[in-house]
Amino acid sequence: MEKVIMGNHAVSYGVQLARAQVIAAYPITPQTQIVEMLSELCADGRLKATFIKVESEHSAMAATVGASIAGVRAFTATSSHGLALMHEVLHWASGGRLPIVMANVNRALGPGWNLGGEQTDSLAQRDTGWLQFYCETNQEVLDMVIQGFKIAETVLLPVMIVLDAFVLSHTEEPVDIPEPADVDRFLPPYQPQFKLEPGEPHSFYGLVAPEHYMELRFKMEQAMEESLVVAQRVGIEFGQAFGRSYDVVERYRLDDADLVLVTSGSITGTSRVVVDELRDKGQKVGLLKIRMFRPFPVAAVREALSKAQKVAVIDRNISYGVGGIFAAELKTALYGAPHQPVVFPFVIGLGGRDVTPQSIHSIVAYTERHDAPLEPIIWMEVKR
Amino acid sequence: MTSHIIVFQSAADMPSLPMSVGTTLYNKTGSWRYVRPVYRDKTPPCNHACPAGEDIVDYLQMVVDGNYEQARQRILEENPLIGVCGRVCPHPCESDCNRTQLGGAIAIHALERFVAGQPGARRLPQAEKTAPAGAQVAVVGSGPAGLSCAYQLARRGYKVTIFEALPAAGGMLRVGIPSYRLPREVLDAEIAAIQALGVEIRTGMRLGQNPVRAGSPPGRDGLRLEDLAGYRAVFLAVGQHLSRRLGIPGEEAQGVLPGLEFLRRVNLGEPVQIGSRVAVVGGGNTAMDAARCAVRQGARQVTILYRRSRHEMPAIDEEIEETEGEGVKVQYLTAPVEVVTTVGKVTALKCMRMKLGEPDEGGRRKPEPIHGSEYSLPVDMVIPALGQEADLSFLDSQIDSARGLIVIDAAGATSRQSVFAGGDAATGRSAPSAVPPRRAAGPNGGGRPERGAGTVAYAIGSGKRAALAIDRLLNGQSLEGFPALGEHVHVAARDVDPRVVPFEDINLAYFSSEPRTPQGQRTAAERVKDFQEVNLGFSEREARREAERCLSCGTCNQCDTCWLYCPDVCIRRRDHAAPPGPGHTAYEFDYDYCKGCGVCAQECPREAIDMEEELKWRR
Amino acid sequence: MSYDIPDKELMSPGHVACPGCGAPLAVRYALKALGDNTVVIVVASCWSIIAGAFPYTAVQVPLLHTLFATGGSTASGVKAGLEARGLKDTQVLTLAGDGGTFDIGIQALSAAVERNEDFIYMCYDNEAYMNTGIQRSSATPWGAWTTTTPVKHPKDQPKKDMVAIMAAHRIPYTATATVAYPEDLVRKVKKAASIRGSKFLHVLSPCPSGWKSEPAQSVLLSRLAVETCVFPLYEIEHGEDYTITVQPRQKVPVTEYMKLQGRFAHLKPEALAQIQENVDREWDKLVAKTGNHCGH
Repeated sequence: MEKVIMGNHAVSYGVQLARAQVIAAYPITPQTQIVEMLSELCADGRLKATFIKVESEHSAMAATVGASIAGVRAFTATSSHGLALMHEVLHWASGGRLPIVMANVNRALGPGWNLGGEQTDSLAQRDTGWLQFYCETNQEVLDMVIQGFKIAETVLLPVMIVLDAFVLSHTEEPVDIPEPADVDRFLPPYQPQFKLEPGEPHSFYGLVAPEHYMELRFKMEQAMEESLVVAQRVGIEFGQAFGRSYDVVERYRLDDADLVLVTSGSITGTSRVVVDELRDKGQKVGLLKIRMFRPFPVAAVREALSKAQKVAVIDRNISYGVGGIFAAELKTALYGAPHQPVVFPFVIGLGGRDVTPQSIHSIVAYTERHDAPLEPIIWMEVKR
Repeated sequence: MTSHIIVFQSAADMPSLPMSVGTTLYNKTGSWRYVRPVYRDKTPPCNHACPAGEDIVDYLQMVVDGNYEQARQRILEENPLIGVCGRVCPHPCESDCNRTQLGGAIAIHALERFVAGQPGARRLPQAEKTAPAGAQVAVVGSGPAGLSCAYQLARRGYKVTIFEALPAAGGMLRVGIPSYRLPREVLDAEIAAIQALGVEIRTGMRLGQNPVRAGSPPGRDGLRLEDLAGYRAVFLAVGQHLSRRLGIPGEEAQGVLPGLEFLRRVNLGEPVQIGSRVAVVGGGNTAMDAARCAVRQGARQVTILYRRSRHEMPAIDEEIEETEGEGVKVQYLTAPVEVVTTVGKVTALKCMRMKLGEPDEGGRRKPEPIHGSEYSLPVDMVIPALGQEADLSFLDSQIDSARGLIVIDAAGATSRQSVFAGGDAATGRSAPSAVPPRRAAGPNGGGRPERGAGTVAYAIGSGKRAALAIDRLLNGQSLEGFPALGEHVHVAARDVDPRVVPFEDINLAYFSSEPRTPQGQRTAAERVKDFQEVNLGFSEREARREAERCLSCGTCNQCDTCWLYCPDVCIRRRDHAAPPGPGHTAYEFDYDYCKGCGVCAQECPREAIDMEEELKWRR
Repeated sequence: MSYDIPDKELMSPGHVACPGCGAPLAVRYALKALGDNTVVIVVASCWSIIAGAFPYTAVQVPLLHTLFATGGSTASGVKAGLEARGLKDTQVLTLAGDGGTFDIGIQALSAAVERNEDFIYMCYDNEAYMNTGIQRSSATPWGAWTTTTPVKHPKDQPKKDMVAIMAAHRIPYTATATVAYPEDLVRKVKKAASIRGSKFLHVLSPCPSGWKSEPAQSVLLSRLAVETCVFPLYEIEHGEDYTITVQPRQKVPVTEYMKLQGRFAHLKPEALAQIQENVDREWDKLVAKTGNHCGH
């Protein structure tokens, strides 16, 4: 069934279709519509789940962890400072090997208060052991929530589905909402391997001495690496079930491109338009959309950029002292690769500043004009 | 889940998340401790005080559990005369009872009587037969010492013959204690039970009179010591049946009847003339009994004259109260100086007031006459009850005596080979006992007499002692190692530390003051009319309630407190099926895990757990 | 059996609590009361260590270790998860120290009980952050030494009245208990287990290491705390009905309790007198709240 819905509601529909059993969430702009709709769905029984109206995001993730280890499908959503507040609990979820799915609406961090789109909040959590998927459209958001549970429950790691503030969260787009029966076939009920079970007295998450800790973390990394393959497989299965398949990256008009734009999130959509315009003018420009950021799809990225001369990475985020995070990770991925394109790391759109087709054109122009970046971080559209 | 140390060979071996797969039982935290708890039963003050060597705390627990027959058998191991003691003993156990300060001493005395009176098998408990084949032992005197000795020997297989001077068995129990204190049927039954073991009692056989003729039947024939040469051993338990004299002018007059003789006649049913106004002189139980018998025999006015104050009176407190309740007047600090007669009949007793001076060697303050304080008490009968002496006229030069008593050592042996002695004849009241005299603790359950010596219980203990010594002697064993005469002797001792538990060591957090259960008693108006028993004993409910007040000092009674408070869950209850009660180690410490924190020892309500240095145990 | 306490043990030896620690006693009794259809959540505290390191456990029920501030929130999630699986009768017990209850955990606790989440929250209170080495908490009594309230500047705030805070949430059941009165504790835990909604138990748990007391005297101290009225044992239903459940047999002077603890050794007579006055006043207030009746 197709509906015109905002990105936040796409999340809610995804959660409903995935039959989450426990939701614990705290409202924060611009995530609020996710939880408001879920509250209604729970209240009138359209979603048979318990919605715990916690008093903070830290508690939201803790309650979600509690529900998940109790053996049920658990979900939460947040943004920006809410995500930052739950930071320590994110570690508990991943080290706890819990298949939690969380939607994070990318919003800038203060001070001062800023509600606009920026990816720094989720990227600042990139070391927490969560899988991260960056969505371009509301359709992708809904689809990823469903796929997220399937991937998470296979590899036993939590999954973060990321969507941009307002551009996706509050903008209504046509979205195909799958049929519940089809989703049920694709995503069966959760069968936890490890859970709190009266009669099976195990202690979970207790003290781990140095003699055991590294092996447990090694196993976590193994799961993380496995999840890339699992994500790809699930993406294919999803395509078979619903007609929309997904890979960890998406290549757009990339094969003979000299200059490749690397994007994530909703900027991808804007960039597609610009790539088409430039191609119409005969420029060999292509687009690499990075969907799965954690684990970083090294092989796919290397392969996609194996013929590009220049790579313009568009980061709507920054790690102070390093620069755009996608750029830094991409450079790391390329290290040692046989082919080394020149990487132009652009930082743009922080704090919700609009990124227009014109912005992308400027990025392409800069990249074409210069042989190499003139500075370590290329700040776009900033009054210097 | 396993209880061993877990070793993972590889990451693949481990669970994916930090999840337990074993228990902490692998971790033997016992390695932490430097002190360890040990269950060690100690001696409660009641056990320590009992001259008969009864294990009071043990049998009280059996009463608590409703196992009356088991309790009776437990007492009978040490003392065959429990119905007797439960009526006449001055109960030094109660004087020392730690419960005195928490609502009153346990009424052990009445509980013993209750146990004795429970329906059930009347058999005396068996003992291992250690008698050499055909060994015969003679016992002289069928009082408590003699009966106790005979019992302990007979149950070990000895052929025992008791020679009794009086026409009926029982000694002072028969002739000194009236039936309103000790009913005849109780005494008869307990003597009969001893006879049922094969003990022969030959009455009318007084040691020291005419020589026996071979083959002559029992009768008024007498005995000499040589006549007993055929017995492998002899136990002399002749008691103290001679009255001490007043030592004042006029005491030969008609109407002056020594207390012991008065009581003997009353108790044997012989005719005795009773006066109308009777003066009894003395402060002991004999004086009390004489006064009360006089009342029952019809005397209109009975007065007891005692030369010290109430505080020094040796009679049992309850006896004094009962005596006064029956209308007997007691005059303190007064002593007779002359019996006044008219026409050879007693008409008055001249007395002198006394005051108390310094304590004598027995610890009691000496009475000193107040000159010029004479007064006259009109009486027509005087009963002196000033103390008893033993008739040792039968002794030969081989048997030492001193101060009118047969000298014995810790084994009860006299200076003559194979001759033993015990009871009042060997340790009489006038001799300093091994333990200094004690005062009564108060109106509730305090006894008066000096610890042990002179009491029925002491006599029973001394008879037991001699029997054990005789058994050793006749089996060629040494007589070394008997406890001192002031200490008691056990037949069936539990493994118990000799340290006596004082009140300070009782954990008062676990006990509140609860009043002692009083024993029923006939009213004074009722009881003076006859010789029926004055005290009525306990009902079962009263007995259980009273026994439950017992603190079980130093003796584990499975209260579960240690088990309850162990933070390391390392006290286990053992074998619930085993009969409960002290002496059974009802719990065990799991020393693999015990950290030696000491909470158990601190909380044990009754000081039954000691903390000991760990190094002592690890050699 | 002399005590009305369930027999079955759900805690094993081999745990690493200090000798004489009150915390394992509190949990031992609570687990006996609840039985094996129970899930325990342990907030960062001494019990995080006592429960056993990976891969071992010291209890025979499922146990979840969780972050310091999350005693109330994790329990809410666990309970919701268990109910969603149909395990509606499984008891959820959060175990937290005074730090995780009075301080860092108070927000999540308040929120959980405000929502009347169906769980039992048991705070075992040893009156300081003991697991990290005896630092003061808001549960530390006035005048006590801790490593962050040294003798030159001991704690100069009174102990936070956590029970009043919980009662103010009008939850169905709030109670105090301590390890010297196991039957009272067990009865209260059982009562809590029989109620749907939030139940808060404040359990005084002596700590020989932090109180500088003899390990053997932990139960004694716990008893003295009650008998001196320093730590009265009472329960509150719906935030309104107060009942004292253990009446001290006689009111013992607080010095009897305090002289056994090195953490109070530096207090001068004026301070001790002040403490006695405070205790007396609080006791009178409590008695007034009960309408001057004592139950049980």
